[in-house]
Amino acid sequence: MKLQMKTVLVLTAILAASALAPSIVAAQHGMPGGTPMTFFVTGEPIGDGGNLGGLAGADAQCQKLATAVGAGNRTWHAYLSTQGRPGQPAVNARDRIGTGPWYNFDGVMIARDLAHLHGDTLDLARMGNNLTKRTGLTEKGQIVPGLNDYQVPRDSEWEYTKTTPYTNRHEMLTGSQLDGRAYPPGVDYTCNNWTSNSDPAPGGPQVLEGRPGRPNAQIGFPDRNGGGNGSWNSSHGTTGCSQTALNRTHGVGMFYCFAVN
Amino acid sequence: MPTSDRIPSSLMTFFVTSEPIGDGGNLGGLGGADAHCQMLATRAGVSGRTWRAYLSTQARPGQPAIHARDRIGTGPWYNAKERIPDYLGRRLQRPIIQSEIHGDTLDEARRGSNMTKEFAVTEKGELVNGIGDPLPTRHDILTGSQPDGRAFTDAADHTCNNWTSNGVGSAQVGHSDRVGNGNQSWNSSHGTTGCSQRDLVSWGGVGLFYCFAVN
Repeated sequence: MKLQMKTVLVLTAILAASALAPSIVAAQHGMPGGTPMTFFVTGEPIGDGGNLGGLAGADAQCQKLATAVGAGNRTWHAYLSTQGRPGQPAVNARDRIGTGPWYNFDGVMIARDLAHLHGDTLDLARMGNNLTKRTGLTEKGQIVPGLNDYQVPRDSEWEYTKTTPYTNRHEMLTGSQLDGRAYPPGVDYTCNNWTSNSDPAPGGPQVLEGRPGRPNAQIGFPDRNGGGNGSWNSSHGTTGCSQTALNRTHGVGMFYCFAVN
Repeated sequence: MPTSDRIPSSLMTFFVTSEPIGDGGNLGGLGGADAHCQMLATRAGVSGRTWRAYLSTQARPGQPAIHARDRIGTGPWYNAKERIPDYLGRRLQRPIIQSEIHGDTLDEARRGSNMTKEFAVTEKGELVNGIGDPLPTRHDILTGSQPDGRAFTDAADHTCNNWTSNGVGSAQVGHSDRVGNGNQSWNSSHGTTGCSQRDLVSWGGVGLFYCFAVN
């Protein structure tokens, strides 16, 4: 018994000294001295598919959700890119979110800086950042339901999903490439710069990528599980830009919010 | 039961060992580890494949280093289970790809691979306990490798003396659930302090390793 207790203490000490510790002391959120939240996944969608009211509408959603949990004292930006238009340069998601480090609801660091978040070097990219299913929390500290959490055939139907909050909804809108930058103009990766809720004409190819004239948004996974790659910010496209189309592949039009200050 | 639901799937060319050898970092060298892979596959009813443990060994005088990535064939590799149907009703069985799991290009490294907790199941199709699951955690997977799948080149021990030590030394491990230590590396997350079975357990592993079929 004594020996077992010693083992437990040693194990606890090792865990406490490692980066595993924050997930164990998650209950410390809100305690004096805790690290304030500067990152979250939106706990609820705007609800009109890829029409977020542009970047401003998405930012306002971040700000509204943050304010509702007492974090409205910061300036929040949605992690979204927009593509270039005549007389209107592209906006890169990575240029909108400050410099980090960013911490989630539990005070766990998601990434040290932009290079860590995006894996700007081969070494950084291979090791990955610290955004996982267990750290990609909403502003209320909830884990975002992903693959295998609650499998029902109807979990890709919006009419069912919108009243069943524990079904898979792990696709985050980003409109971004792997490096966090916008796609070139032309093919749609941003639901027309987050103003479109329209879908491709019926009968077209069933693909999850941009094609000329095809409404589409690039998405990523906070649980790092999907699309065969698990990219947090640029895994694949959508079946369209309506709320129904986003849900078909297990998204509901949520996105990442970062505090810039 | 449809063929596609059989476990292990006839496509299986990858698994995490369902059980350790049990002597810490002493696996009986690469030969012992390979034999363990072969034994578990055979016991699960798989025949006709040659299995290799995903382990590196470090260079010794007159004995060059061996890189885990060079031991496992070319892939692609499939796990023991079929995937659930996707939104079009297709029963996709996504494999893991050599260049993707090692992030050979910056795009591949950033995008990641299909090596997830749900993919990295045992030869019985069972999940390996990770962070957040009931204890004991078993997600520390012995590799002795750098993130690119190659052996370490420094003088320190990263392979429990080329998988012969159950005492002093250290083993580099990855996390089969891609969670822990502030990174997501499946093959090179951190080292252990010590090579005994107890040392491995104290870090969150039991001495499991990855097995790949080369054919």
